[in-house]
Amino acid sequence: MKLEIQNVSKRYKGNTYGLRDFSITIEKGILGLLGPNGAGKSTLLKMIATVSKPTDGRILLNKNNIVKDANYMRGQLGFLPQDFGVYPNLNAYEFLEYMAAMKGVGGKNLRDRISGLLEGLNLLDAAKKPIGGYSGGMKQRVGIAQALLNQPKVVIFDEPTVGLDPEERVRFRNLISDLANDCIVVLSSHIVSDIDTIADQVAVMKNGSLLTKGDQETIIALVSHKVFETILNKEQLSIFKTNHLVVSTTRKAGTLKVRYITDSPVENSIQQQANLEDAYLYLTKNN
Amino acid sequence: MQLFFTIIKSDYLQRTRSYPFLVTLCLTLAIAYTFVPAPNASYSTIRIAGYVGYYNAAWFGYVTAIMSSVFLSLVGFYLVNNGIKTAIQTKVGHIVAAAPISNFRYLASKMVSNFLVLSTLLLTVLTMSILLFFLYNEGYTFELIHFLKPYAFIALPALFFVSVLAVVFEVFLGKYSILQNCMYFFLFASLLVSPPKNEMQFALDVFGSKIVMHEMEETVQTILQTEENIDMSIGYVIGNTENNQKFHFDGIEFSTYFIVSRLLWFLLGIGIIIAIAPFFHRFDTKEKLSLKKHVNKVKSQKQLKDIVLSKLPKTVVNYAILPLIRTELLLLVRKGRKWLWLFNGVGMVLLGVLPLQMAHQFVLPILWFLQVGRLSDLTTKETDNNVHYFSFTAYKPIRRALFSQLMAGVLLMLFLASPLLIRLAVGLHFDSLAIVVLAGLFIVVFAGFAGIVSKGKKLFELLFFMLTYASLNGLSFADYYGGLAHGPFYLQLLFGVVLILGSGCFIIRRYHLKMI
Repeated sequence: MKLEIQNVSKRYKGNTYGLRDFSITIEKGILGLLGPNGAGKSTLLKMIATVSKPTDGRILLNKNNIVKDANYMRGQLGFLPQDFGVYPNLNAYEFLEYMAAMKGVGGKNLRDRISGLLEGLNLLDAAKKPIGGYSGGMKQRVGIAQALLNQPKVVIFDEPTVGLDPEERVRFRNLISDLANDCIVVLSSHIVSDIDTIADQVAVMKNGSLLTKGDQETIIALVSHKVFETILNKEQLSIFKTNHLVVSTTRKAGTLKVRYITDSPVENSIQQQANLEDAYLYLTKNN
Repeated sequence: MQLFFTIIKSDYLQRTRSYPFLVTLCLTLAIAYTFVPAPNASYSTIRIAGYVGYYNAAWFGYVTAIMSSVFLSLVGFYLVNNGIKTAIQTKVGHIVAAAPISNFRYLASKMVSNFLVLSTLLLTVLTMSILLFFLYNEGYTFELIHFLKPYAFIALPALFFVSVLAVVFEVFLGKYSILQNCMYFFLFASLLVSPPKNEMQFALDVFGSKIVMHEMEETVQTILQTEENIDMSIGYVIGNTENNQKFHFDGIEFSTYFIVSRLLWFLLGIGIIIAIAPFFHRFDTKEKLSLKKHVNKVKSQKQLKDIVLSKLPKTVVNYAILPLIRTELLLLVRKGRKWLWLFNGVGMVLLGVLPLQMAHQFVLPILWFLQVGRLSDLTTKETDNNVHYFSFTAYKPIRRALFSQLMAGVLLMLFLASPLLIRLAVGLHFDSLAIVVLAGLFIVVFAGFAGIVSKGKKLFELLFFMLTYASLNGLSFADYYGGLAHGPFYLQLLFGVVLILGSGCFIIRRYHLKMI
């Protein structure tokens, strides 16, 4: 299983780029895609999912160019878009059966598979009520269920944890880990903690380009020995921010505990264990 | 005040910066082109006892202004009666509800925005009428005043009042769009029928057309030296144009009384908005209208069980299209209010019991027109419901998904027509039977085509309405369901149109998917 994105660009009117000369190779396992708003994550995922076409470049799945033969990808794809809707007059069973028919899957086990997915996603009780009455989180779980209907080999989740409560997030992570055993899973998120616990590989994007890709240790290594904490008062913070990359601040007894990234720490700073969030901020702010 | 104008400007830009509005503008241009027929055309729009005016500036200005006033008052209502609905759908309404803007200001901004949209269309018609003057005029000089005066005193107040009515209907009947449309149509028709003859009655004519028609009538009466009522027609009348005679029409000097009355329509409109402002729901619609839904609100279960994907039953590849058609049919049937099916039931019974000709000629088109809400988003509901990411990445989205949408529509139309179809089959009227089946196909592919081309519902809703209205009034070119007598090639013609529209659906959808 190999997904190759080769020199892909997406150009819009006015010569602006959503993605520019982007290349990456993705193999079995979970790839976490991180990047600020407008980085091009959704643009990339839509092109992999064959929703939109690149202006230049090729996307190959097992050497098949899916830009030309979209149905090759569609037959083995599970896609959860960032912003999707449902038909409010259908119940969860009807909607998922419809999605299965769209994907070209069926058989006598379909109903059981749908029940299994709905049960696992905590929707079984509500499954025969119109989806129009569901909460945002429940609709999101219906979206996750539809992505898994056809035993997909390539699964794309664009911001999948939006609307899920903490417990559901944990269950979703477990689900993805199970999925990754024999699939390519691409997962985009703003929330670094959604990625760092499960992703085998992490790619960081900004302004339509790839900043880096690698396993978490390699990426975190970019900021090892550069993360510090110090205590400041409120007045000092704004000047401090102009000279250092501040990751977070915590208010404590009238002072501020500041976590920052630097090559030359200020006096009384204590070095900290670097994490993926530090590396992500370091990469996106410094590029 | 600055904020008020900003809201109006944003609302206007939001409505006009869209592909469907561009289509509407093009359609308006095309229709405006027909307001003053070409000298050798086989139809007329305004004719008084076989007389039409010489093609001078006054004739072009007044005729197009009257036609705009009447035509845009009808069609325009359906174009603009979704301003508040859009705010609900986009959830912008919730932000508005929490903002300090008063009900009156908000409704007034919608009213002005409606008026600006309709005025943009009116400006398009005015431009076309001036172009037509230079194209067709019979040696007369161009006088701009004969264009500006009727547009200002006849069309603009009418459109302003329509903008007000659109807001009123949305405030009180926001959730019942079919009821809104039907009620407005009857209101419009009732406003058209009274024949005023004096200044007081002219002042009460919201469309402002009757004073002009009266002036034209008097001119022709003078020519014919009669004081008896003579035939007048406003609207499209086919044929009998070769015997038309000409008369000079030089416009009207509007009395102060009439001008003041037209200004009063503006004031009345503002007064109505002030009066209805306290009744505006301020986007608190769900709580008011669907209390029952809240009681039955879906609750998620508490017992959690982990999902193990590898243990779930496996599905197999199955490209059968029947499940798709079944769900599409389900979506069509469940669309709209359940009680509307009562009307469908009554319509089907009438198709079965009324005299065959009446059932075919009148009941069938009305019954089918009642499905306008179901059919209008037949091919756009994926985008409307934001399901297009799933549909467009489905396996063979055109050959399977689009086909099943159209097929479900056809099945619904044929089911509704089934009592008539059975009667035609039993009576061995196979020609009529074939026409009704083709007509069902036609209306579905027409809905699909209009939706795909305009990427919205309005175009089909408008055209279907006009088609039904024209066909019920006996205009044979609009008789798509074979209710009137036709020549030998009617069936072939209908088949050809179905083929073209059907192919258009597939070709344009394919093109759109390629262009994503």
